[in-house]
Amino acid sequence: MGEPNDDDADLARVQAGDPEAFEGIVRRWQGRLIGLAWRFCRDRAAAEDMAQEAFLKAFRSLATFRRESKFSTWLTAVALNTYRSRLRSDGLPLLAMEPTRAISVAPVALADLQEQERTEAVRRLVLTLPRRYREAIVVYYFEERDLAESARVLGIAEGTLKARLHRGRELLKRRGAEKTR
Amino acid sequence: MSDEELEQILSSEDALAPSSGFARGVMAAVRTEVAAPPPLPFPWLRFFVGIGACLVMAAAGAALSVQADGIVRDIAVTLRGTGPELGYAAIALVGSLALARFPRVFARD
Repeated sequence: MGEPNDDDADLARVQAGDPEAFEGIVRRWQGRLIGLAWRFCRDRAAAEDMAQEAFLKAFRSLATFRRESKFSTWLTAVALNTYRSRLRSDGLPLLAMEPTRAISVAPVALADLQEQERTEAVRRLVLTLPRRYREAIVVYYFEERDLAESARVLGIAEGTLKARLHRGRELLKRRGAEKTR
Repeated sequence: MSDEELEQILSSEDALAPSSGFARGVMAAVRTEVAAPPPLPFPWLRFFVGIGACLVMAAAGAALSVQADGIVRDIAVTLRGTGPELGYAAIALVGSLALARFPRVFARD
């Protein structure tokens, strides 16, 4: 994750007309933006494409960044808006379900594999939730369960976020139960 | 699925490492963006001149039509008198168009 001082220095240089200084910002924040995109599409190529679009949008909007919020909050909010419009125009990705590679796998490894597949299935189930619950869950866990920061990124009140998280988790559990039935 | 289990699954996502050329790709896109000519600004001056000219023309037209009320009435009477001729002209036009289409229909067969 980025060091605030490095970001400030690079931001000042970009705002003064040196676009090359943006590379430092990209290198420090690429993992975070790709990670967030990945949670919304679970496809590596699409995640990198979405993250590139988010960086470009951030570059274009840097002139309007007034330092009223933390740079990380601002950048994550820009990325979230980009991913939101991208998913709205392109739709949710079609997720290929990997076949179970159980042949000639030792029993212990097989148990691990089944557990991994189950975990991945639950994470993919998040993508089937209505947008408001999906975004609440993705951002909240991406922000390491920091309620205040997640609410700032989403641009909603903490109480609203809490309600959406509760409803989203309930929906997830219900859908998970329906799937295993 | 229990609450704890769900919580554990959602909060234990591994980080995804960017591919090696990702930052280079972004910077190439940034450089292309910087090198691109700025978008043309909307021609507000011409727009307002055009709107002003339209308003002047509309006002002048309205003033003239009020003054020339009698002339308009005369034109209407004249046009009413040429009704049959206009009808003939319309029939001739439709006939000409039909004659022009006729050979094309056969040519298609």
